[in-house]
Amino acid sequence: MNETREFDPLALSVVGHAVSMVAEEMGTLLERGALSPNIRERRDASCALFDAHGRMIAQAAHIPVHLGAMPESVRAVRECQPRAGDVYLLNDPFRGGSHLPDLTLVEAIGADDGTVIGFAAVRAHHADVGGMSPGSMPQGATELMQEGIVIPPIRVAGADGWIADVLALVLANVRTPEERRGDLEAQRAACAAGRDGWRALRARLGAARLVEACDALLDYTERRARATIRRLDGASGSARDQLEGDGVSESDIVVAVAIAAHGDCLRIDFTGTAPAVAGNVNCPLAVTRAACVFALRTMLEDDVPTNDGIARAIDLIVPHGCAINAVWPSAVAAGNVEMSQRITDTLFAAFADAGVVVPAQGQGTMNNITFGGAGWTFYETLGGGQGASMCGDGPSAVHVGMSNTRNTPIESLELAYPLRIDEYAIRRQSGGGGKHRGGDGVVRRYRVLEPCTVTLLTERRRHAPAGAYGGFPGQPGRNLLNGVPIPAKCRMLLQPGDVVTVETPGGGGWGQAAG
Amino acid sequence: MSVSIGIDVGGTFTDIVLVDVQGNAVAGKVLSTPSDQGEGVEQALRAHAPSAERVNRIVHGTTVVTNLLLERSGARMVLCATRGATDLLELRRQDRASLYDLSMHHPPALVAPSDVVAADERVAPEGVVRELTAAHAAEVAQMVAERRPDIVAIALLHAFAFADHERLLATHVRARLPGVDVVCSSDVLPEIREYERTATTCCEAYARPRVARYLSGLTGRLRALGMPAPGVVSSSGGIVPADRAAEAAASLALSGPAGGVSGAALVARLAGFDDALSIDIGGTSADVGLILHGEPLVEAGGEVAGIPIALPRVLVETVSAGGGSIGWIDDGGALRVGPRSAGSVPGPVAFGRGGTQPTVTDAHVVLGNISASRISANLSLDVHGARQAIQELAGPLGASAERTAQAMIATADAAMARALRRVSVERGVDPRRCVLVAFGGAGPLHACGLADALDMRRILIPPHAGVLSALGLAVAPARRSATRSMMRASTAISDERLRRTVAELAATCDLAPGRHLAAVARMRFQGQGHEMEIPFDPAEGIDGLVRQFRHRHFGRYGFVLSVDPVVVSVRATVSDDALPVALARTHGIGWDPLTASDDGGPSDARVVGRATIALPNATLLVADGWTARALPIGGWLVEKEG
Repeated sequence: MNETREFDPLALSVVGHAVSMVAEEMGTLLERGALSPNIRERRDASCALFDAHGRMIAQAAHIPVHLGAMPESVRAVRECQPRAGDVYLLNDPFRGGSHLPDLTLVEAIGADDGTVIGFAAVRAHHADVGGMSPGSMPQGATELMQEGIVIPPIRVAGADGWIADVLALVLANVRTPEERRGDLEAQRAACAAGRDGWRALRARLGAARLVEACDALLDYTERRARATIRRLDGASGSARDQLEGDGVSESDIVVAVAIAAHGDCLRIDFTGTAPAVAGNVNCPLAVTRAACVFALRTMLEDDVPTNDGIARAIDLIVPHGCAINAVWPSAVAAGNVEMSQRITDTLFAAFADAGVVVPAQGQGTMNNITFGGAGWTFYETLGGGQGASMCGDGPSAVHVGMSNTRNTPIESLELAYPLRIDEYAIRRQSGGGGKHRGGDGVVRRYRVLEPCTVTLLTERRRHAPAGAYGGFPGQPGRNLLNGVPIPAKCRMLLQPGDVVTVETPGGGGWGQAAG
Repeated sequence: MSVSIGIDVGGTFTDIVLVDVQGNAVAGKVLSTPSDQGEGVEQALRAHAPSAERVNRIVHGTTVVTNLLLERSGARMVLCATRGATDLLELRRQDRASLYDLSMHHPPALVAPSDVVAADERVAPEGVVRELTAAHAAEVAQMVAERRPDIVAIALLHAFAFADHERLLATHVRARLPGVDVVCSSDVLPEIREYERTATTCCEAYARPRVARYLSGLTGRLRALGMPAPGVVSSSGGIVPADRAAEAAASLALSGPAGGVSGAALVARLAGFDDALSIDIGGTSADVGLILHGEPLVEAGGEVAGIPIALPRVLVETVSAGGGSIGWIDDGGALRVGPRSAGSVPGPVAFGRGGTQPTVTDAHVVLGNISASRISANLSLDVHGARQAIQELAGPLGASAERTAQAMIATADAAMARALRRVSVERGVDPRRCVLVAFGGAGPLHACGLADALDMRRILIPPHAGVLSALGLAVAPARRSATRSMMRASTAISDERLRRTVAELAATCDLAPGRHLAAVARMRFQGQGHEMEIPFDPAEGIDGLVRQFRHRHFGRYGFVLSVDPVVVSVRATVSDDALPVALARTHGIGWDPLTASDDGGPSDARVVGRATIALPNATLLVADGWTARALPIGGWLVEKEG
């Protein structure tokens, strides 16, 4: 190897592959070992590696809502001054977390001499973390404490294994403790893989060179992000959009944003966004940052390494205490899934206003649905229409924006839960018309076999996904109980034979149709 | 003296290897004939095979299925599905094609929405919820017939557990459409998860008519030559007789690459290694495989051309990196290699066929790793052109051509090393305890770099490296497997039931004396979603199987759970012994120390790096710190010193 001080640009791709490889291995271990359908089938999880300064060097992201959100977790853990080999657990949205079901484990990676040389972090959406309703994605919560157990960064394992009484406290506060234990085991195994990979990399490169490599990788991603911003050529624009109520009231909640490309820096200003609301569609700043990083990420080439360098090119302004920079004790469970989508939608609308060619709006919701009965909870989210773009029609029946989780196979679902899927189909003609058509949404019809509750947290039921450049809007979504429309956000008691139908929104069309 | 023949059809060449009873192997090549691969096969036999009465068997690796999936040129089919679940192929698994490219689409489904016919029936875990009546089955058959399909696929919900409705429907469709084949999901893949089962079933139907035509044509050609009917190697690496292969068309999708890993496994065994990683590096891509206990790793799953095929297959991961991969500088100022490739036309600059962009091969030329005489008799290397192209790339970086060339090779190595690590580490295998089997035109050039990147200490460069797939085919064992869905907690399975299941599956695979039975259970803990494949001995009962599972789960994930494991399915595989073959250095002039060339003849040479060794179709680069020894079976063992 070359012994130059300056990191060799010729070796960047090599070291980039090496760190991505470690993050990827963490992700595989997690997905295969985990119990929650959210993690194993839907991949609502992310794994990342950080250097000794807490800078994110690589992330294996399956789901964009975790993009750029995990550095907050590592920052919170570093404030606790961890020793090498300590593993911390957290989910507090205001101390490094996102929403309570996302449990994050952070391991302080030690060198042989006991110094901390980096961090391995694994975040995963658990099926239940307690609180007022099964699945911990309650509708109508107005305080964080109603949404589940709140865990500040706390040491949960060391070199000798789990700290039994800490784990016991956590597991005593959830509905399905054995499943949680299994998922946490899988998360710790993934952290260990990250630790081993990071150590091996350091052994191969040498400590000094690893530091140089981290600097170089971050600078490199930042350069590529800035190169893209520079091509926007001073563009500026603004947009407003809204969420359809917070689960407590039906009033619209405004998200407002102004964007401006100044040279190679992208300024994103959310001034004018509604203050935090009583219900739980608020989100902490980490989620807002993730949405901004995602929007910029879609404009970069696919191969840009995902690390802290992207966020460096963004100058983010979010008023303290507004709905998307919420503070304790605001409730936030649905903010992660629904507000994050609206932030993304609004950002894209602002880019379009600035003359940047972006796709029309997609379904703009994750269609969260939770069934819970005696001893069981089932949570899933549904795809819908993607917006059409300059390149062609929007894809149908996919997750858009900040989610990319997979569906639950009908056969697996029916074997595990007292639910039957009477219909799972493309919602034909729900995409907006135009030169290019928006993608179609889906229809999913559930019949329940036992008394249970259903909780719906859905969006775009009133305000349709907008078309772009003269394209028509997509169809808004609909929720039905036994054929009768029910609210976008609600919780209902069901009896055997009841049928809940969710029709997800179609994407907006792009351009004016000929003739 | 009888001869076994392996014939591997590639994009450019059709390779043939003949192995006689003494184990002597002879190789040859002819140009491939893409419009009908059978023509090239016939030409290869005419050019290289002995007289017909000496040919014992012919085993063929084909890309017919892969190509028809890539070109979307399969059969026109109608799919019958449960009412309410007729859009499964379009819905896929709901994840988008690209996380960040929002306009990207998945490849289109193999069946148009208008060619899916709904059947009013429903089965649930508790049993039949809505009966399929004979009258309705007849109506469905009528709707199918109106669409005039070449072939019909039937995939109903929960058919992995209850197949009666599929069978009844198939009976009616066959009666209504005599001569049209019907494919049921409960036959193709009796496993849970409706999307993967339906997609695999449709792939089978899509490929079957064309495969049947191809194989009957090929059988005819061979018969005309007086030769035996061919066997075809399936994605899982076993031979299927041609008449039966036409009914397992989807299982031929990875026929070609499976042969390569089988060949690598054979050579690893002969050289005395149990566990190996294999890499076949060509011009545009590299195929990576894993060999455990001397056998290619077979597991279920994977996609070909965007179509999931959830059948057992030899694990092969393909990376877009090879000798033709082009180096470039991106807008962040980093040197990148691939995924664009100069392919064989225009090819590397050094080959002087019109290539202008610097490739990995050019980097090797600049560093003197490839010498002109070894490429081909009528090719002279344009060293100056290669250097100039790399110099242009190096200019903006302020680096020398040599350093840039080294970096290009290291970058290509990094992409390939990532794939090698992925296939091993994902399965709990530490690459450091494996030998690296490197072949293909560029494999021996990259072997030391890859091994260094992965801390591997031993490399095997096989003999016949240019035709290793064909060699693997020539000696491949006959193999059949059958799967049955279990979907039961291990506590609900008796020893007797486990033994009976394996015995019944083995019987459908023609288990006979002299053949081996291997049983594999797909298992997970209750609540998990990913199955592990657990080889087991039915004689040890269900407790033995559970013990194996827990042991492997701990080894893989570092923990076990207190809940019961679930047996999702059981698969039995019956195979013959691989044909014995004793490779030896018997031909050619052997080792020439002056030119450092190895023509495959007798040699006990030892070469200390850094050095290059010219092989018949490739160059072996022995890096600093490595020593190569000529093997008695041909090829080289390269070991890290110290």
